[in-house]
Amino acid sequence: MPQEDKSIDRRQFLKSGIRGAAVVGIVGAAGLGVSKTRKSDTVWQIDPNICVSCGNCAKYCVLEVSAVKCVHAFAICGYCDLCSGYLNPKPRELDSGAENELCPTGAVKRKFVEDPYYEYTIDEELCIGCGKCVKGCNAFGNGSLHLQVRHDRCLNCNECSIAAACPSGAFKRVPADSPYMIKTKVSHG
Amino acid sequence: MNRCGKGTNAGLFALIVVGLAIAAGVVAVVRFDVRGEKGSGLSRDYVYDTAELGKFDPKLILYDESIRPIATNFSKSRGIAVGLRGDIFVAGDRAVRVFGEGGVLKRDVDLDGQPVCVCAGDDGTVYIGMRDHVEVYDSGFNRLGSWEGLGEKAVLTSIAVSKEDVFVADAGNRVVLRYDRSGKLVKRIGEKDAERNIPGFVIPSAYFDVAMAADGLLRVTDPGRHRIEAYTVDGDLEFWWGKFSMDVDGFCGCCNPVNFAILPDGSFVTSEKGLMRVKIYDPQGEFVGVVAGPEQLVETGTARIGVTPSEDTARGFDVAVDGRGRVLVLDTIKNTVRIFTRRQGADAQGSE
Repeated sequence: MPQEDKSIDRRQFLKSGIRGAAVVGIVGAAGLGVSKTRKSDTVWQIDPNICVSCGNCAKYCVLEVSAVKCVHAFAICGYCDLCSGYLNPKPRELDSGAENELCPTGAVKRKFVEDPYYEYTIDEELCIGCGKCVKGCNAFGNGSLHLQVRHDRCLNCNECSIAAACPSGAFKRVPADSPYMIKTKVSHG
Repeated sequence: MNRCGKGTNAGLFALIVVGLAIAAGVVAVVRFDVRGEKGSGLSRDYVYDTAELGKFDPKLILYDESIRPIATNFSKSRGIAVGLRGDIFVAGDRAVRVFGEGGVLKRDVDLDGQPVCVCAGDDGTVYIGMRDHVEVYDSGFNRLGSWEGLGEKAVLTSIAVSKEDVFVADAGNRVVLRYDRSGKLVKRIGEKDAERNIPGFVIPSAYFDVAMAADGLLRVTDPGRHRIEAYTVDGDLEFWWGKFSMDVDGFCGCCNPVNFAILPDGSFVTSEKGLMRVKIYDPQGEFVGVVAGPEQLVETGTARIGVTPSEDTARGFDVAVDGRGRVLVLDTIKNTVRIFTRRQGADAQGSE
């Protein structure tokens, strides 16, 4: 019986290689596509009606500076002169002196509107998401300051370490097409 | 025998592993800080410390809660008032309920909408504040009519009745409206008016209370300025009292007091949100003492402010007084009427 020649020539080897690479490429691309779609279906967000502003968002995020920031729902703000999210509970004076400010990084800014009203904004570059101002605003004010995951910063980790440390279950997955939970109602009254 | 022994050892091992797993699970559940009270471990600079804020000298407490609270059975109670015969009116959900002596439910009046406040006149007429209008009932709770609506912006929060007039506090429009008994608008009181030296009310949230004092002057809260103001029925601002302070003699936070009532001797009972305190001031506005502080009002044993979302939604307790000088606190968290009675011999500033 003549022996079958099993050796392959260079052209065949290249053909097989290209075919194999193409299959691997297609399968890989499809897999990547599926995984990307799955990942971007939902994103992490904080439900402000459950959040107890414990400070864990600042502590546990894998980023050096947390992806969680304070945001301000202006529509429900009282524009108070004596803002409990801006001033220490026992301020010496009702002014912007550092010793009177509540925010440890100076991220809450205030601007005079008309007597006796002030507008408050957040400098997100400075905000670390500790929630100190949120606690003050919720405790005494309307709760217009609240924490949100900023999606331009969040890595959308599958196993989010803030979610694991969240004591109230406020840190949860929400649909990616409505990624924010901005407060629209005064938290009391 | 040997095999049997091996099986026993494996079973015992499995039992130990399962037991340890269950124990670890129980410890994890018990130790998990569901309210976030243990904090994040950030330095103190990043912590909003409320532990000290609610503390005050317990000698300042002049009242005891010695009577069992009245369950309103509302899921969301809003306002309380006492009628001439001592009946307690509570507005909540979509009804007004009337409780008699001993907390017995005498009437349960269903309404078309959600009431915010209620007040009864000397003749027994009952005025119920809805969000944007007043509804009127006779003493038998037959509906007499509904006054004209005050528009989208209106948020009615309190009603006071004098012999001739009805005064309605509208937090949305920052004004007290004076009506005659037939519902005709007579005067707008407290709107910003530089010529009359009236600065206008500062009302950051929907808490704005009004009451008629025995001296014939209307008393109105100005929570953003931390004071109670006195107006004539024609709208002249006569004087005010009150100051901001986290200390017990002042009004705390951005905007307090949220509610008040006037005792038979002309003293004031005030209620604060945030740092929940019910206190007594004399007719001139000097601090006298405390009815109940955060420890008594929110959670026994700990001095806390309303920090959880459920407490946030219902932390502005309304107050009323009855003919015996007892202080009635509408606990909008537990939806009960809590009754505080002055301690025997309790004197101003807590000295006995």
